[in-house]
Amino acid sequence: MIATVFTLAIGLALARLFTSCRVPFLRLWEALILLPMVFPPTITGYLLLLLFGKRGPFGAILAELGIQVIFTWGAAVIASVTVALPLMYQSCRSALRSVDRRLEDAGRTLGLSEARIFRAITLPLALPGILAGVALSFARALGEFGSTLMIAGNIPGRTQTMPLALYSAVEGGHNEEANLYLLVATVLSFAVVIVAGFCEGRSVPPSRYSERNSR
Amino acid sequence: MIAVSFEKRLPLFDLRADFSVDKSTAILWGDSGAGKTTILECIAGLCRPDSGEIVLDGRTVFSASLGVDIPPRERRVGYVFQDYALFPHLTAEENVRLALPAGEKRKAEDYLERFGIGGLRRTKPGLLSGGEKQRLAIARALATEPRLLLLDEPFSALDRATREDTYREFLTLRDQLAMSVLLVTHSRAEAELLGHRILELRDGSVSEEGS
Repeated sequence: MIATVFTLAIGLALARLFTSCRVPFLRLWEALILLPMVFPPTITGYLLLLLFGKRGPFGAILAELGIQVIFTWGAAVIASVTVALPLMYQSCRSALRSVDRRLEDAGRTLGLSEARIFRAITLPLALPGILAGVALSFARALGEFGSTLMIAGNIPGRTQTMPLALYSAVEGGHNEEANLYLLVATVLSFAVVIVAGFCEGRSVPPSRYSERNSR
Repeated sequence: MIAVSFEKRLPLFDLRADFSVDKSTAILWGDSGAGKTTILECIAGLCRPDSGEIVLDGRTVFSASLGVDIPPRERRVGYVFQDYALFPHLTAEENVRLALPAGEKRKAEDYLERFGIGGLRRTKPGLLSGGEKQRLAIARALATEPRLLLLDEPFSALDRATREDTYREFLTLRDQLAMSVLLVTHSRAEAELLGHRILELRDGSVSEEGS
């Protein structure tokens, strides 16, 4: 859940920046964001380990501040955010691009600032697509296994996520526990798919003038 | 009064606009694709001319030589878009209220009443007829108390019967408004019926046709 909040904030901010400003080397930045989608999860995890390890560029800075990331729940959040960000970014980008530019122009002629146009016009109209991204990212973060194992380990009660717990249960022969995880994962995934589909289909309704007249 | 004198390079031709409108309704008439909307967008600040200047009530809102380009939100130009560009997620009242300073709810209601759609203030644009949408778009544009009103083919989305009624409403409004109005149309008949003056856009240039 925490990972999804971070993923939403980062994904939406990047999508807004990349759809509204001229960013140099845009394709390169986008490729970097989307990389974890095509990388094998263990390679993403290893890369994160290099970046956030004690000798890594981010890890060294955090160590200076007395913050240990590797093999903590924070590492699990970092892994989840990294693998879910491509889905969130793509959903937010598509949702923001789908908003009719004429509506934003209309806002400009009405004297609204760019921030108010985003808040009052763009964001509400893009919301169904963004929420679909939230649902998909949540599901992706929930199912994350390889990179979490690499960077956060599998410490019960601390960094053990549901897929890791299921793996441990199967490996230890605890079938009942594994079945319970299977049931929870199935229900959650089913709910997420339904929510994502509902959000995507819930764009602004088409003209219903004829509907009103036929009543 | 608006004084326009600019050039804008388009992919297929160069557009030249050189005219003024002073407290009257001028019709910018020309074929589809002639560049009429681009002229309105340049005046509103939604599009940037390549050279020249635009002066609105004595204030230079665009000047290529002086490097002046006032953003649209500060130009006080009311714009009625061809498809009305009403905010589909907001009610009619909220559409108008967005153009007003915070707390002026009563004023939004007044504008809707004035245009005969007061009873529809809680209705979203998707449920409005073409004529109602047009009235809402004009009410919203006028709520900003603009110095100039631009209308881009405001009757093109209406069926013939509604259009006849709306012409009458527009003529009444035109006489009530003590402001400069520039209306774009590709219909010659509409241009002759609605304007004090006709400006013809042909081959990328605007020329006065007489009253």
